[in-house]
Amino acid sequence: MKTLTTRLSSVAVACAMVSMSASAQDSSLTNPNISAVLDGYYQSGERPMAERVEGFGLGHTEFAMSANIDDMFYGKVTAIVEMHDGDTELGLEEAFIQTLAMPGGFSVRAGRFLSDVGYLNNQHVHTDSFSDRPAAYRAFLGGHYFDDGVRLDYVAPTDLYWTMGVEAFKGDDMRAEDEHGEREFENVGVYSAYTKFGGDIGVSSSWQVGLSYLRNENGRLTAHEEDEHEEHGDDDHGHDHSHAARYTGENTYIADFVYKWAPDGNYKYQHFTLSGEYFKVTDFAPLDEHDHDHDEHEAGHDDHGPDDLTGWYLSGVYQFSPNWSAGLRYGEVDTQELHEDHFHGQKLKETEVSLAWHHSHFSTVRLQYTNQQGTNFEGFEDDNIITLQYVMTLGAHGAHQY
Amino acid sequence: MAHAGLNVFACEPEYAALAQEIAPDAKVYSATTAMQDPHQVQARPSLIAKMRQADIAVCAGADLEIGWLPMLQMKSSNAKVRSTDQGLFFAADHVETLDQLKEVDRSMGDVHAKGNPHLHLDPYRLLKVGEALSEKMAQVDADNAQQYRQAYADFAERWQAKIPQWEAQAAKLKGKKVIAYHTSYRYLFNWLGMEQVGDLEPKPGLPPSTSHLSQLLSRANQGDIAAVIITSYQDDRGAQWLGERANIPVLQLPMSVGGNKQSQDLFSFYDSVITMMLTTMSK
Repeated sequence: MKTLTTRLSSVAVACAMVSMSASAQDSSLTNPNISAVLDGYYQSGERPMAERVEGFGLGHTEFAMSANIDDMFYGKVTAIVEMHDGDTELGLEEAFIQTLAMPGGFSVRAGRFLSDVGYLNNQHVHTDSFSDRPAAYRAFLGGHYFDDGVRLDYVAPTDLYWTMGVEAFKGDDMRAEDEHGEREFENVGVYSAYTKFGGDIGVSSSWQVGLSYLRNENGRLTAHEEDEHEEHGDDDHGHDHSHAARYTGENTYIADFVYKWAPDGNYKYQHFTLSGEYFKVTDFAPLDEHDHDHDEHEAGHDDHGPDDLTGWYLSGVYQFSPNWSAGLRYGEVDTQELHEDHFHGQKLKETEVSLAWHHSHFSTVRLQYTNQQGTNFEGFEDDNIITLQYVMTLGAHGAHQY
Repeated sequence: MAHAGLNVFACEPEYAALAQEIAPDAKVYSATTAMQDPHQVQARPSLIAKMRQADIAVCAGADLEIGWLPMLQMKSSNAKVRSTDQGLFFAADHVETLDQLKEVDRSMGDVHAKGNPHLHLDPYRLLKVGEALSEKMAQVDADNAQQYRQAYADFAERWQAKIPQWEAQAAKLKGKKVIAYHTSYRYLFNWLGMEQVGDLEPKPGLPPSTSHLSQLLSRANQGDIAAVIITSYQDDRGAQWLGERANIPVLQLPMSVGGNKQSQDLFSFYDSVITMMLTTMSK
């Protein structure tokens, strides 16, 4: 639904980009900012639930245009071109408007946009310090969760940064697996609420913490029926390269933090970023499953059904010169896979090291090593993956989020 | 609004100092210090919180803050500082910038098409900016308009009295050739008749490279360079390397108010910059 394979529309977008480029030089706030992101890679294996495939490939090739529409509205469009199984697909990652002049610190965003839950989710993938999102994001948010909906945000007039917001989304990509296609899903499937606090510690350090809750009306799995036929191989493949969340539940809780440091607060030469997030997903088991559970005698969790799904990661990235940065990230995901009428616990651990060379702000070449250890994880076992990737931006110099 | 209690968000310390001259009772916050490169600032939570409360935002403009100011405006949801029609003020909008470019290509580095934004070290331009800022404050806080105009007139009088003194002091610097880092002191050199014959950056925004430094060394070996000049937020390794080999003094000048102990306000900042250059270069 989110992907148009029409070649015509990609040409149309390209033309629009070209004709606008004349005014792109003057990237003032009232003229459109136009930019493109080029992302290409080679990797020696595949990470579970990630979009990147083994061998040569292109990541998100992104075209973005944004501007103040008038004194009340800002608008942004981000189109992404992706390769899936040899097909070129044009997708729309963002197409939203946001109010600019509401009183009292309120703002409304509507259209298709990145949800503000968690720390990484509202950031564009090309600004990440690793080639793929942490496993917890890939498992629970489909890498990065963007959707059609509306947001109301409020920033408090305090010296301590304090923002809070609520969102409602269509939620198609967050629907639980529906193998028979018979389920009636809610049209507005996802609601979220978040709050973030932040500030400085002296002149060199700054921090932010956030708490988010995501309600997914369509997140609970449906029970398998008796005439079930095993087609897992095919199913999994379809999931691996889509934006849909792989594991869903009715309630998702996210806690996140980020800490940044630079000598004297000067980000020109060195800086360090430490960030981490924790995910907990509950209420995913089919409702009629509890009765069966008593007969099943699964070790460890007989009466309570399966354990909650959890995931977390901790990431440290040090830019030690304007040209070089290095990152270390560790993450785990514990999920439950439904097999007929009972759940199997599965676990994935990822340890990742990345080294990036930045010729300028606009060009990055990254070498990343991932050690993954899977326990029953979708057939993924222990593996070592090397990724060599470039990410480059051209056009308007977009402002980055914290 | 409380009496002259304007809440000012300044992008750089020189504009915080200028705002304080014109609105002595205002609550002024500077987003950066003289030790921080204003090109590269994180749109961090504390800045969003400060901008959320601001009545007026005073910045250099000419795209100096393009990498972070738009994000702060978006995140702070403060309609007062959205547009230059209201509480947003760009210094570069009120003077003619140097080195404006017709054609911009990224292969030229991270250049500013709208001209050099580091204009606060030209006393005449700064005076014009101050006048425009006093009008902006008078517009935003009309009840106290007369106070801002009065404070500006007072500042202008003291400033205009200082300009000839600085120029007389710095007369010895006229014609001096220097190598500097970025075009941070473009306006200072232009004002005092100095000449920047080399840049430690191979291209704007790129750090000094070994091959570029050795080119600068052969230029410096011609023997006519008076100093290597860098700012308080620039790394001194390239400059020190060059200075040692070419036997030229290296001078780290404050980039703004607060860049060294002496620079407490705009007057002492100018005093310090000129004194430091004279001490090093009039041998």
